[in-house]
Amino acid sequence: MARAMDAPAPSSRQRPWLRWAGPLLLVVALAVLPLVLAEGTNQTLARIGVFAVAVLGLNVVMGYTGQVSLGQIFFLGLGAYVTAYGVTHDWNIVLVFLLACLLPAVVGLLVALAAARLGGLAIAMVTIALPIVGVPLAKRLGDLTGGSQGLSARFADAPEGTPLYDDQWQLYVVLVIGGIVFLLTRSLVRGKYGRAFAIVKGNEAVASSMGISPYRYKVLAFTIASLIGGVSGFLYMLVIQYTSPETMTFGHSIQLVAAMVIGGAGSIVGSVLGGAYYVLVPQLTNLVDPSLTALLQGALLLIVLFVLPGGLVSLPRALTRGRRRSHTGGGPAAPPTPPTSPSSTARSGTAADEPETERQGQV
Amino acid sequence: MNLHFRSQPARGIAVVSALALALTGCGRGDAGGDAAAGAASPGITDTTLTLGMTTPLSGSTAGPGTCTVAGVTAYFGMKNAEGGIQFGDGKTRTVEIDALDDAYDPQKAKANYDQLKNEVFAMTAGLGTPTNRAWRDAAIADEVPQVLIMTGDPLFSDTDQSPWQLGFVPKYQNEGQAFGELLASSGEAHKVAILSQNDDYGEGYVEGFKSAVEGAANIEIVDELTYEATDTSVDAQITELSASGADVLFNAMSVVPLVVSSLQKAQQLNWKPSWFLPSNTSSPAGVLEPGGGAAFPGIYSVSFAKAPASPASASDEDVQTYLQALKEYGDYPDSPAFPHCQWSWMVGATLEQAFTAMTEPTREAFMTALRGISGFEAPLMLPGTSVDTTQAGQPAVSTVVVQKYNGTGYDTVEAFE
Repeated sequence: MARAMDAPAPSSRQRPWLRWAGPLLLVVALAVLPLVLAEGTNQTLARIGVFAVAVLGLNVVMGYTGQVSLGQIFFLGLGAYVTAYGVTHDWNIVLVFLLACLLPAVVGLLVALAAARLGGLAIAMVTIALPIVGVPLAKRLGDLTGGSQGLSARFADAPEGTPLYDDQWQLYVVLVIGGIVFLLTRSLVRGKYGRAFAIVKGNEAVASSMGISPYRYKVLAFTIASLIGGVSGFLYMLVIQYTSPETMTFGHSIQLVAAMVIGGAGSIVGSVLGGAYYVLVPQLTNLVDPSLTALLQGALLLIVLFVLPGGLVSLPRALTRGRRRSHTGGGPAAPPTPPTSPSSTARSGTAADEPETERQGQV
Repeated sequence: MNLHFRSQPARGIAVVSALALALTGCGRGDAGGDAAAGAASPGITDTTLTLGMTTPLSGSTAGPGTCTVAGVTAYFGMKNAEGGIQFGDGKTRTVEIDALDDAYDPQKAKANYDQLKNEVFAMTAGLGTPTNRAWRDAAIADEVPQVLIMTGDPLFSDTDQSPWQLGFVPKYQNEGQAFGELLASSGEAHKVAILSQNDDYGEGYVEGFKSAVEGAANIEIVDELTYEATDTSVDAQITELSASGADVLFNAMSVVPLVVSSLQKAQQLNWKPSWFLPSNTSSPAGVLEPGGGAAFPGIYSVSFAKAPASPASASDEDVQTYLQALKEYGDYPDSPAFPHCQWSWMVGATLEQAFTAMTEPTREAFMTALRGISGFEAPLMLPGTSVDTTQAGQPAVSTVVVQKYNGTGYDTVEAFE
């Protein structure tokens, strides 16, 4: 990790303005874009934001800590239901937001306390149960959830007095909340907790020998993932404004895992790309042929995994590597290859190093 | 090496700056808000009109979903080939369908709606309760018609709550009630066992049935059980109900494999009541043949559409035209496996009625025209049923006739035998 992060440092030191100009421009771009983009584009971007946050949560537990979780959609659904219930009962929106974060986190903590005792695939089995239990539960608790008819809640119209359209307002809220979640998660996984997660992922025995309790860190990662799932559920209600038991079917949970792998496991930028994949691919396949969407999505999934096993986030690296290879073949003065080993630590280092450029590509 | 590191972020910044500048220049055009009075709504020109659909075309409900597209596409395909439809404002337009797949996912349905709302004149014929509810509020806020949709959810037929909506198929209550009335008028004493799905679907059927048999001295409800739509077996419920001694089983079930297995289970138990099955899970080929429905004294269902597979309608002119168009314009070469194909064809005919009556090319005028249709016998409708959009709180089709399984198809019956 340290080695990989040291590599780009000289250039940043030489040109300190670049270090700040990138993020600053990103912020400016994100602030300006909602104002100038078409309504449909804004809504699509907001949806990408919702699922990027959900994939980010999944990344904390799967990508960074290496624990297979197939239940992320349950926490999204729970967050969405809490939000819908609170909004329809006219609770304060800040309180609703806090509850939408807290409740999934508490449920996640309880599940993790039991599940993390089990090793490896057993955790995956326990998490499978969540969406499978969640759907009939949502149908049965009709008084709270509206049963199979679901709950509608429209609370994200642009406030009176602002010159914003609804879609612009919603996108700004998603950008602010999602942005904060992304920044916090980025700090988490790059700091001491992230290193502990990585060691637990790499080898639990080594982790124990270093005084890192794999159990505690697995529970922590799972709880954080559930909390982030709750946040994405809040955003889901903000953007989609409706939730029903179909929201948290098991198939969607698998699609989230697929989106995470395709975006890039263990990568912040990969989470955004995963969210984009989750939202854009169904729209794209609809444009090609609405009656073949499932087939086309399956084909696309296979192609991406064959061509880019590291996920979409590894695309720039794959391209530069290819270019470099062709340079080496054609010209005699090929530059020495910088240390970009394909190990997972180097990947997260590279990914974290260039989030700006790649996210701009997304936006 | 330095060149490489320096250039990449710099290039990125340059690209973004250029992009931001270019986009700022664009500004935002018409955001799709209210059009001025009299001006044409989106999706309509002097020669064409585009309808939008979001419906499941993949996943477990893809079968009926595909039918909802095929029927209406075939109808307007046929009309377009004849030169188009003469609208109430004197212009002749062709009608195009823009259908998108939502895989029965509310989130995708909303996304499809967002994508379509500024390009289509109205949304129509989509299948599914959650997938239609997901964008109902948005459709009201945007004033986009969401009409003649395939859900029995009463919310869409409530004009006060849903001013821009109208359901097409009968409410669940309408179906249960029709069978209850038939049973109550039989004059004989019947013991009824009820098995229903534990949600709005099952409750709707049971509510309709009970309201019809309320006060009928000859009908006794001896047992009443529920199951969850996610259950994989109802053997336990069938076994328990078989002990009740009922001679009629009112089975409000929306899951096809469960209906088949419950028919089989009852035969295993040698329990042979008369059955009532909802219209969407009573297909002769899909449910009754695999379930061995001929073993029972009677299997009753309700319908308002002619069944193309039944021998009675083989010589029917409506059915011939319909099957031909389905093949030619609906991209549906097989014999229709779900009634949704026929329903969707009727949606096409009902929309045509509204189009010929609307005097302005606006969504408002369309809604007014659509809400003024009564006594319209759409093609493929059974005698005794009709489209009536003028009744408050009722979907476009609220009348159904009870039918009995005859071993190959259904016959309309006047009395319970």
